[in-house]
Amino acid sequence: MNCRAGSNGVSENANSVSLVNIFGTFFRIGLFTLGGGLAMSPVMRHELVIKRRWMKDADFISVMSLATVVPGAIAVNMAYLLGRRLRGKTGAAIAISGTILPSFFVILFIAGFLLPFFNYPKVAAFFRGCAIAVVGQLAFAGFIFGRKLLRSWRHFIVCAGGVLTIGVLGMHPIWGIMAASVLGFWLCPGDNPQGADCHANDD
Amino acid sequence: MLMMIKLFMSFMLIGLGAYGGGLVTIPLIQHELVSGRHWLGFDEMAQILAIAQMTPGPIAVNAATFTGFRLSGIPGSAVATAAVVLPSILILTLIVPWVEKFRSNGYVNKFRNGIQLGVLSLILFAVWSYGVAAVRGWMDLVIAAAAFSFLVVFDGKLHPIIAILACGVMGVVIF
Repeated sequence: MNCRAGSNGVSENANSVSLVNIFGTFFRIGLFTLGGGLAMSPVMRHELVIKRRWMKDADFISVMSLATVVPGAIAVNMAYLLGRRLRGKTGAAIAISGTILPSFFVILFIAGFLLPFFNYPKVAAFFRGCAIAVVGQLAFAGFIFGRKLLRSWRHFIVCAGGVLTIGVLGMHPIWGIMAASVLGFWLCPGDNPQGADCHANDD
Repeated sequence: MLMMIKLFMSFMLIGLGAYGGGLVTIPLIQHELVSGRHWLGFDEMAQILAIAQMTPGPIAVNAATFTGFRLSGIPGSAVATAAVVLPSILILTLIVPWVEKFRSNGYVNKFRNGIQLGVLSLILFAVWSYGVAAVRGWMDLVIAAAAFSFLVVFDGKLHPIIAILACGVMGVVIF
């Protein structure tokens, strides 16, 4: 369905984008963007929509809204959908490889050559500080999502159901998400915090 | 070989659960690699997560490459990295032809609401489970609270790397 735009000739240069070009562009994006999908999507938009004009902004926004609602890392989902729009399934595979290969090599380099230094007291102290920052970061994410999603006592119950499944029953975190989605389906039908945004983004 | 299969399964689950942003993968990684299988110690995982956020690429993908390498070298890193992106590819390949129906389907939207709340509960759980392992004294609690307030004051406009690096430097000075 996403390829439809290309095959109908909506964007005339879409089919002329070469696989090498796709790989190169996504490789650059993957190499020079620190962080995952949320940091990467503005860069992707700049490279694909503004600089290269490979697709329209509306198409990009519809890709972005889909990439954030399906499971998987957002950057990988974005690469799949954008690559697929440009050159079908091959394009999707090429775009994903381009996006993750730079980080693959960077991490291999760190794991292969820098790992021995991690035991130095000062380096360990640095990482201990970083680990503590991540606690603050998680609390901040909980704060932001909570402010957006917890709108009535029903939402609190659904969320508490998820926390209890993982924390008290000790089940796998995936079951926590499942429990909350079933509870949410049952307890708060009809209210969709992002419903409006979901329709506005359709092309 | 068995190790490779376990590694593959673990990271496929992590890839599947990575819903709506990298931080959600932290409780999954902690559950799969530290408390579940004891492949990594907490400190080692915390180092990986810090590095994953300071380098290019999604947290889940970076953690997969790093853990795979630590457990079984370059083949392990390739297997884990492939496993973590596989759910994305499978799910998107399945739903792209149905995407318009998928979007307008009321049932999907109702479940989506619950999934988002589930992700929130996962993050709240992680604040606790990751927090009790990382925060080991009053000083640590002060640093964590400072990082939190810093992020709240800037209301998401500050790149998280800056907060992480700042706390790292504080760590070098204090510990």
